Amino acid sequence: MEIAYFLGCIMNNRYPGVEKATRKLFEALDIELKDMEGASCCPAPGVFGSFDEETWATIAARNLTLAEDMGADIMTECNGCFGSLFECNHILKEDEDKKAKINANLAEIGREYKGTIEVKHFAQILRDDVGYEKLASLIEKPLDLNVAVHYGCHFLKPTKTIGIEDQAENPSILDDLVEITGAKSVDYKDKMMCCGAGGGLRARDLDVTTSFTKEKLDHMTEAGVDAIVNVCPFCHMQFDQGQTEVNEKYGTDFALPVFHLAQLYGLAMGLSAEELTFDAQKIDATPAIKKALGE
Amino acid sequence: MIIRGVFSMSIINRLKSLFKGENDNEEEDIKTDVSNTSNDVEVTSSQSVNEVADSVEEEANEKDLTSEKDIEPLEEDKAEEETVIDEVSEAEEVSSEEIVEEKEEAELEEAIVEESAEEVEETSEEVDADEEDSKDKDTKGDNMTLLTDKELLNDSNRDPDFTAEFIDAGIETVKHCFQCGTCSGSCPSGRRTPYKVRQIVRKCLLGLKEEVISDEALWMCTTCYTCQERCLRSVKIVEIIKKARNIAAHAGYMAKPHKMTGVFVMNTGHAVPINDAAKALRVKIGLPEVPPTTHAYPEALEEVQKLCKITAFDELIGYDEATGGLKE
Repeated sequence: MEIAYFLGCIMNNRYPGVEKATRKLFEALDIELKDMEGASCCPAPGVFGSFDEETWATIAARNLTLAEDMGADIMTECNGCFGSLFECNHILKEDEDKKAKINANLAEIGREYKGTIEVKHFAQILRDDVGYEKLASLIEKPLDLNVAVHYGCHFLKPTKTIGIEDQAENPSILDDLVEITGAKSVDYKDKMMCCGAGGGLRARDLDVTTSFTKEKLDHMTEAGVDAIVNVCPFCHMQFDQGQTEVNEKYGTDFALPVFHLAQLYGLAMGLSAEELTFDAQKIDATPAIKKALGE
Repeated sequence: MIIRGVFSMSIINRLKSLFKGENDNEEEDIKTDVSNTSNDVEVTSSQSVNEVADSVEEEANEKDLTSEKDIEPLEEDKAEEETVIDEVSEAEEVSSEEIVEEKEEAELEEAIVEESAEEVEETSEEVDADEEDSKDKDTKGDNMTLLTDKELLNDSNRDPDFTAEFIDAGIETVKHCFQCGTCSGSCPSGRRTPYKVRQIVRKCLLGLKEEVISDEALWMCTTCYTCQERCLRSVKIVEIIKKARNIAAHAGYMAKPHKMTGVFVMNTGHAVPINDAAKALRVKIGLPEVPPTTHAYPEALEEVQKLCKITAFDELIGYDEATGGLKE
């Protein structure tokens, strides 16, 4: 099996440990991750989609054509990238007029969108293409960790078009994937709430974004978890860097380390904290990692 | 008479449901929702029994008024009308006493029920005074409507082309909204900002272009889709918000930090470009220093830049090619 690996921006340019863990995981699963050479920003759905739909769709479609040329479905491990690429692919497959308009733009750089591939999320591939049994066989030592799963927004929603889960109020895919590593997914208040970073809000009004994040951190802390697990580098950044911003603004002392699901699997497969670039994250993950590994 | 019978029954039923408290929840939900969309979250949590009782009182007044209004069409026979009113008020008194007694027997001693029962008896004698009072309350506290006595909307306020932009973009569902408020009640941003998603959807349908696009709160949505997921009418709410933002951005309402995000993409192909710290980190863990993206392929970056010019995105954000920054 071959997959076109879409890197996006934040994951590879800020948290490369996520990329490292993903490459290791797919090597072990015997799935080839092929680089999408020259890929750009997805571009961000709530940001570029809010400014100019045509620009958003044209840049996203250019990224889609890279994978079409490779003849492979796209995998992304960022909810924002997934939201943009999935939605653009969906729109252009359904709407001939929009497809013609975007293709007129792409023709200027010698490209054409054809609609021959699918866009998939990392977690979706682990559930549907790999399967839980095979994943479980990779776990060397089950992790002892209580985690708050954060789904994020553009992974499952809008459910009617994405279809990874039937509904977004009480999904299970991430909780299942977390528990395969031995970690326990702990339920908490308003679990499905947004981290606050999306839609251009973080760039425009940090105070409002921070207030979202504080509410989530309050609820996660009340549930007594050791760490946060997410599947979106932007949420990841919001919980990591944003947590220090919450502490600064509200005088709190939140200290919940943040794991991308790929990092959690990396840890369960024996990668070190340094290889997973936890040492570069703002919130110290050492206590959680020691607990997880029973050290 | 049939009509009389219907009236008596409906009044009794209304009073029954009033005393059972069936309407209380609905009333309070609406109030809570209005509070939610305002700035002050504290108001919501301090909702007291008194407020609930107030709303019951208001409702009771409305019922009284309604019963009189409803009777008006029977003017042909004024004598009969009076008889009806008499009977209705008799029925009211009898039924309210009966129901209160029932409640007491059942040992339901909630303050709300008792208070409202007393109040109904009092207010039935003072309809005129309370009518004024309830009108006052309506104009002060009710954000359910865009209409006020001072600023009545007419066609001169509306821009049908604005509404048409949503329809043309394939968001016909903007017309399906029946203003239930599930969106505002679900909105995490509405809990902390002046962002009122239900109101924006309504304004888009009415064609109130300037009000929508000049509203800073339009940008407080994180596009989390909770509203759209829960919408009873399957309105594509996030699409409406994004479309309204597109129109706002093209009309010049675009924040500088957002323009800068565009500048990053124009310059590097990425909204969050690589930096030296990330390069060092990548090398340390055995990844290529620069990822195989537009960062590593200058010709790919040129493609992105060319596309941004074709769609006039550079002009939209005011990109200055000479400096690689903003023109202003």
